[in-house]
Amino acid sequence: MRQKNQAYRISILAMFIAIIIIQNFVPLFGYIPIGLLDLTTIHITVIIAAIILGPRDGAIVGGAWGVITFIRAFTSPTSPLAPLVFTNPVVSIVPRILIGLVAGWLFIWLRRKIKQTPAMMVAALAGALVNTLLVLGLIFIFYRTPAVAQAYGTADVSRLGGLLLIVVGTNGIPEAILAAVVAPLICTPLLRFRK
Amino acid sequence: MMNKLLLGRFIPGHSLVHRLDPRSKLLLSFYYIGIIFLANNWQTYLVLFLFTILAVRLSEIKMSFFIRGVRPLIWLILFTVLLQVFFTRGGTTYWSWGPIVLSQFGIVNGIYIFMRFVLIIFMSTLLTLTTPPLSLADAIEAILKPLRVVHFPVYEVALMLSIALRFVPTLMDETEKIMNAQRARGVDFGEGNLFQQMRAVVPLLIPLFVSSFNRAEDLATAMEARGYQGGEGRSKYRVLVWHAIDSWSVVGFAILTVILIWLRA
Repeated sequence: MRQKNQAYRISILAMFIAIIIIQNFVPLFGYIPIGLLDLTTIHITVIIAAIILGPRDGAIVGGAWGVITFIRAFTSPTSPLAPLVFTNPVVSIVPRILIGLVAGWLFIWLRRKIKQTPAMMVAALAGALVNTLLVLGLIFIFYRTPAVAQAYGTADVSRLGGLLLIVVGTNGIPEAILAAVVAPLICTPLLRFRK
Repeated sequence: MMNKLLLGRFIPGHSLVHRLDPRSKLLLSFYYIGIIFLANNWQTYLVLFLFTILAVRLSEIKMSFFIRGVRPLIWLILFTVLLQVFFTRGGTTYWSWGPIVLSQFGIVNGIYIFMRFVLIIFMSTLLTLTTPPLSLADAIEAILKPLRVVHFPVYEVALMLSIALRFVPTLMDETEKIMNAQRARGVDFGEGNLFQQMRAVVPLLIPLFVSSFNRAEDLATAMEARGYQGGEGRSKYRVLVWHAIDSWSVVGFAILTVILIWLRA
């Protein structure tokens, strides 16, 4: 009934990227400020793309988010930590690409074993956790090497590391739970558009 | 709320900066962010500051637009600056309390970081104010073109970007429409505790996604009906032209780089 061709694929990816752009620039829609780091709802969009369109397209949408995060860290940072950590493309882009890959592959793999809704929940949970843990882990790795800290005038490295652990920890858990709850709600009505 | 969007803030004009080729503008803006990290003493920052002011003047756009670009970020910048000021040691120490130290190096670093932020924001605001988003997409396509050697789908990425940018305002209107419709049905946005706030996003996202899928389908059908068969072998309607001004601005940035390297401590 529907032709799944090049034009459709390009336009649906463009729509997802447009949604990501909107979420990035409309306050309260993509980022909910709670302190140092903001809670985000953008990872949900990436997870939805990964579940409905597949891991490859999920990775593209996630990559678009990463690139926007990277550019924003220089030009209009979202939080005080963004100019310190997200100016490094490894921290800003790689975790976001992996959300799409992990959520997409996990969903395809689980779909054969368990029911649809729990499979979506697990995939969304894993996608969100991959994002948080990788950002956390990569910040930890890069903050231990003096190169990054020095470029910004050597803040107290060890202290900042501990602080990051707490802040990202308090963000990662609500974000993951939210993704796990919301992803099935949104994906189920959308699955009829699946390739 | 909606007109806070950064992308839609293009201001039409015929100034020197407006007439620059988007390719050179984009590349030079990235280059500028790169060379700003060369600056490490007050002379270099002064040169960069004067250069940025010159660029802003050449664009014939009121200064207030640039200040407005910095204003929403001012708390963030101050927070980062204070973090630097109080946790950097070195030079004369004026005051200290536990781990918090007010030192000469800290204050100097804080001022430099403030300058760096403001200059980068000014330059990126200049880029978005003087370049229509679709020209930027064209510029990105032109810049990515060399990547075709490694089979990177440049045309597809460029088309995706153009469509995305074109539909940002449309989807934004739709988001607002859905938000108002949901408000009429009793959904509160931006109220309640964290989970209530985040859950309020769901009745916004579902209709938005469904309509995006429908829109993508319509768009794909319309594209095919007009003979779209993939990126290869197409000609272009908007052709970018490299003028003499572009070469001169590159020369300007080269001179700036030389001065920066010369003045560097």
